[in-house]
Amino acid sequence: MNDPTLVGIAQLAIAKAPEQLCCLGLGSCVAVFLYDPELKLGGVVHVLLPKAPQNHEVEEKYADTGIRKLVGQLLARGAKKERLRAKLVGGAQMFPNLNLQITDIGAENCHEVKRVLRELGIRVVSEDTQGNRGRSVVYNMADGKALVSTAFAPQHVI
Amino acid sequence: MNGMTEDKAGRVLEVIREFANVGAGNAATALAAILDIELVNEVTSCNILPLSKVARWLGGEEQIVAGVYTQLCGDLKSGILVVFPKNSTEMMLKHMTKEDVDLANLNLIQGSALREAGNICLCWYLVAVSRMIDTDLIPAPPDAAIDLLGAVLDLPLANLGAKVDTVIAVHTRFKGWDSEFDGYFLMLPEEQMLRVILEKMGDGSK
Repeated sequence: MNDPTLVGIAQLAIAKAPEQLCCLGLGSCVAVFLYDPELKLGGVVHVLLPKAPQNHEVEEKYADTGIRKLVGQLLARGAKKERLRAKLVGGAQMFPNLNLQITDIGAENCHEVKRVLRELGIRVVSEDTQGNRGRSVVYNMADGKALVSTAFAPQHVI
Repeated sequence: MNGMTEDKAGRVLEVIREFANVGAGNAATALAAILDIELVNEVTSCNILPLSKVARWLGGEEQIVAGVYTQLCGDLKSGILVVFPKNSTEMMLKHMTKEDVDLANLNLIQGSALREAGNICLCWYLVAVSRMIDTDLIPAPPDAAIDLLGAVLDLPLANLGAKVDTVIAVHTRFKGWDSEFDGYFLMLPEEQMLRVILEKMGDGSK
């Protein structure tokens, strides 16, 4: 099988079976995976921050605008919104002891991602989020499964 | 660097190399004292990179590294990240604590030792930067994480958000008599900080 396509920070990609999409080294970023099991069509957006400011350049950088763009592209490729299901990976807090006015961006990202998905009526079927470990993930369009790996623990499927 | 001619970029890099050498020299002296070994240092490369290129410059998102991160507290804002590769971290912590090191589970002393080693490095580089731009720079106490490089870079990138896309990066090799290790010093300045740095580096026309 071909190597999975890398989806970097603030990038979005669509793929269908048998292709795979991956995100490497997710910290506070969240990889949002939406999948239509009937078409075996899915897409990933790798968001860095929760909410887009007024004048933003890159929609894919933010959870709210990024997810809407991803849904739009999937629907344009024939996916049906009521069939879409979401899997979430990332949103960790990598430096929990920094005593500054830095909020937990990972948690905020997760919160915003779920809020937007709820608004759109898309169900989150599984997630591996928050905590304080980085993650890498490979999404398989053939079966909609996500293979998550971390620095020191064994891989697992969600 | 957007809008900077090659000539100017070259000049700015020269100045960065200068502060990097001073900072690395001081850091080596301080590290030598806590590691209890003789150390010499060599600044092998300096760079000005966009955020998206940092992971590749450091060798790829999926390698395991130790990152020590903090932010400046004063008027000038910048994220500061010191990165030690996996082997360097193991070697350094072993020297400091005289114990075996399991990076997946550092004990309290080792975690503290890592933060301290990072703190020493970032402070000495900052002192050099501070003298060069003739401005006080005050870092908050840092925190450390050992994880995938991509994950370690996420928070520094998120804190910069959309504002700036420029990272000043310095690689230093520290050599002891029977061992050597690498340290990367990354400065992620916000807009005003970046402007001050470039101005004081004789690039005021930017």
